[in-house]
Amino acid sequence: MSEETAKTVGSQSEAPKPEAGRSLLGKSWAGTAMLLVIYLLLLVVFTILSPFFLTFKNLLSIGSNMAFVGLMAAAGTPLIIAGGLDLSVAAVAGISGVIVSLCYAAGIDIWLACAIAILAGGAIGGGNGMLTNGLRLNPFIVTLGSMSIITGLSLVLTGGLTQPLAIPGFNWIGSGRILSVPVPLILMLIFFAAIWWVMAFTPFGRYIYASGGNPDASRMLGIPVDRTQIKLYILSGVSGALAGIVVAAMLGAAAPDAVGKHLLTVIAAIILGGTSLFGGRGSVWGTLLAVLILGTLNNGLTLLNVSSFWQDVTKGAVLLLAVGLDQLRIRSQI
Amino acid sequence: MAGLVEMTGIGKSFGRVAVLSDVSLRVDEGKVVALLGANGAGKSTLMKILSGNYTRDAGEIRIDGRPADFRAPADAIAGGIRLLPQELSIFPDLTVAENIMLGALPTKGSGPLRTVDKAALEARAAELLVRMGLDWLSPRTRMGTVSHHVQRIVEIARAMAGNARMLIMDEPTASLADAEVKMLFQCVRRLQAEGISVVYISHYLKEVFEISDEIVVLRDGRNAGRFETKKTDVDAVLEAIVGNRVGNLYPDFARSTGVASDVVTVEGLTVDGWLHGVDFTIRKGQITGMHGLIGSGVEMAGRALFGAVPKARAARTTVDGRPYAIRNAEAGVAAGLGLVAAERKQEGIISMLSLRENMSVCNLPLFTKGLVVQRKTETATADDWIRRFAIRARGAEQAIGSLSGGNQQKVCLARWLIGDLKALILEEPTRGVDVGARAEIYRQIRQMADNGLGILLISSDAEEVAGLADRSVVLDGGRVAATYEAPVSAAALMNAASKPAAAEAI
Repeated sequence: MSEETAKTVGSQSEAPKPEAGRSLLGKSWAGTAMLLVIYLLLLVVFTILSPFFLTFKNLLSIGSNMAFVGLMAAAGTPLIIAGGLDLSVAAVAGISGVIVSLCYAAGIDIWLACAIAILAGGAIGGGNGMLTNGLRLNPFIVTLGSMSIITGLSLVLTGGLTQPLAIPGFNWIGSGRILSVPVPLILMLIFFAAIWWVMAFTPFGRYIYASGGNPDASRMLGIPVDRTQIKLYILSGVSGALAGIVVAAMLGAAAPDAVGKHLLTVIAAIILGGTSLFGGRGSVWGTLLAVLILGTLNNGLTLLNVSSFWQDVTKGAVLLLAVGLDQLRIRSQI
Repeated sequence: MAGLVEMTGIGKSFGRVAVLSDVSLRVDEGKVVALLGANGAGKSTLMKILSGNYTRDAGEIRIDGRPADFRAPADAIAGGIRLLPQELSIFPDLTVAENIMLGALPTKGSGPLRTVDKAALEARAAELLVRMGLDWLSPRTRMGTVSHHVQRIVEIARAMAGNARMLIMDEPTASLADAEVKMLFQCVRRLQAEGISVVYISHYLKEVFEISDEIVVLRDGRNAGRFETKKTDVDAVLEAIVGNRVGNLYPDFARSTGVASDVVTVEGLTVDGWLHGVDFTIRKGQITGMHGLIGSGVEMAGRALFGAVPKARAARTTVDGRPYAIRNAEAGVAAGLGLVAAERKQEGIISMLSLRENMSVCNLPLFTKGLVVQRKTETATADDWIRRFAIRARGAEQAIGSLSGGNQQKVCLARWLIGDLKALILEEPTRGVDVGARAEIYRQIRQMADNGLGILLISSDAEEVAGLADRSVVLDGGRVAATYEAPVSAAALMNAASKPAAAEAI
């Protein structure tokens, strides 16, 4: 006990630090590797339990069904790493479908309508960023507020009714295939790869990790912490709009409340993927694996005729298990 | 008669670095003992041992003549010893009474129906407030609405509610005005009359001479003097604090004897409540020292110039001959300023990133070709500085948080040298750094100046400023109190920083 106190209090002194990363669990890639193992285990288990599981078509449909969650989680990952949080992203997806359908109904070209929806998503994200960074408000509260406003507006604009959007060219985004790979899946993977590239190779990517890792130190080094975060809020808004377009194209209709309930899955995927809610740590590949794990779990349990009520229970249990293991891993590092 | 607290032969090291060796301290009942020493002399470590925050490696602690072995702060509190840190630990939304009695809330009823006995709570608190001389303060006042010095006295009342017999007060007057200090001292004298002992840590010599019965000085982790306050003077105490250090801890002063050109000029630097129109310049190729006590504004001057203090302003500033407007740290960096912050953990390092990333993060444009950060040149640069600064690390990819303080500090210095820097501001560059690494860091600071950089060295350690700076500026009360050209003695700087003490001692 007293030794522990001494360690924390004496951190300014020259006390030699224990060497980090000696155990296998302590390696920096161990978190992602652990997720990969969980994913493969799930594949094996479901293959054994269900004859319909391990088919090319089924695996692709998992990816396709999770694409909209993946889009939002991909953009949410750098935002949380930089120290932000966007709870409004799923609501943005809802209103973006609504915007597309209303614009189309007003005679605007469908692709122009999509562009308007994406601009609107970016603007909402920008608003979130301005409020959190300009006024120094807590992102949890800001985006909880904007989530409620946007969800409400979607219902106001449509009277709560689903708007049909049966346009073959547009629906191709949701159900088309390129070389038999579903378009939503391709979109999601391109999005992940682009965000990974930015995070891994560009100065902006460095600023993301620095801003979340230690905002005070980053400011003292002249790093544009606020601008970095605002840009990521805009990206998150855009990802919400894209997700909304994909869902509307898949369903052939814009349902104002179709995506909102998936917010928790988005956040769960980011956290399950090893991103720290306190910022500074995480990767999009972890998030991608987490999205696949959650999708596979959902798909496998459905194939096994498990009630969807139980699926929520399982999802929560997996999340707690993974986060618990991750915490143990980090402790072994410090 | 045995002293209330007797510490003998206390030793403590962190790793291989000895922080205390063979230190003794004796505090008698009802006495105020001032514990003095430069930064890093071992005062805080000694008091953390006495209050159970650290365990000692060697030596003995006796209380009332009986050996005491504190393994945790709770043990020390039970033994009647209370540490009151410089930072207040209060609960602003609770009442004064609740703040006093939190550790021992009086209750009524029993079992699950036990509730806080509000009447007894307020009665006990009121009693303690009277004892502190705060009879005018209602125990029902919300703590957050009470002024700072009163909060400090309420904190003492909390210690007394736990039946403390000895208080350790660490810089209790750092941000108090004269009248407020007087009130605090009245409270200390009341306790003294009751037989309570106080260990009083402060850099303000004037206050030390006013309140203490005895002065104990530490230097480099050893006893350096013990004085009866009435029978000594400021000069004798200053000499004990500074000592006659031999050896070559400090490098030579700047070789250029002619007046070097100013690389940074500052006129009328102002931060409300801290600085009131401070003028100074930083010379090219030289080290400009800035010294002052805590609360003198010295802790704000560098970061205000750099742009890291909201609402800092100046009448006129130039960097390298060009006008420079204080706006934010980004603008400061763009103008060619760099700053190494005193609080390394909070404001210096990004602990989960690697040494390489910490080094390059404020110079990324230099490492970027097209859109991509060139990892190879980044690694090469990091390796280069690891060698030049003799940074002890497994490699450029080691997380900076796992390096020792001195090595982290070297990274914080090196990162600014990569870019096109005009002037570097160093805040307390050797805080928490052991003597060995210190000499190395001093040598490097001098080297940077020799290479043409202007250095502003801000330190509350007068000896450091005297030893290193080619010119020294002393701040007091948010204004420039004195300016000296090297060589100047540490004692002269300390005297200028706490002018009233010298005036009264004469």
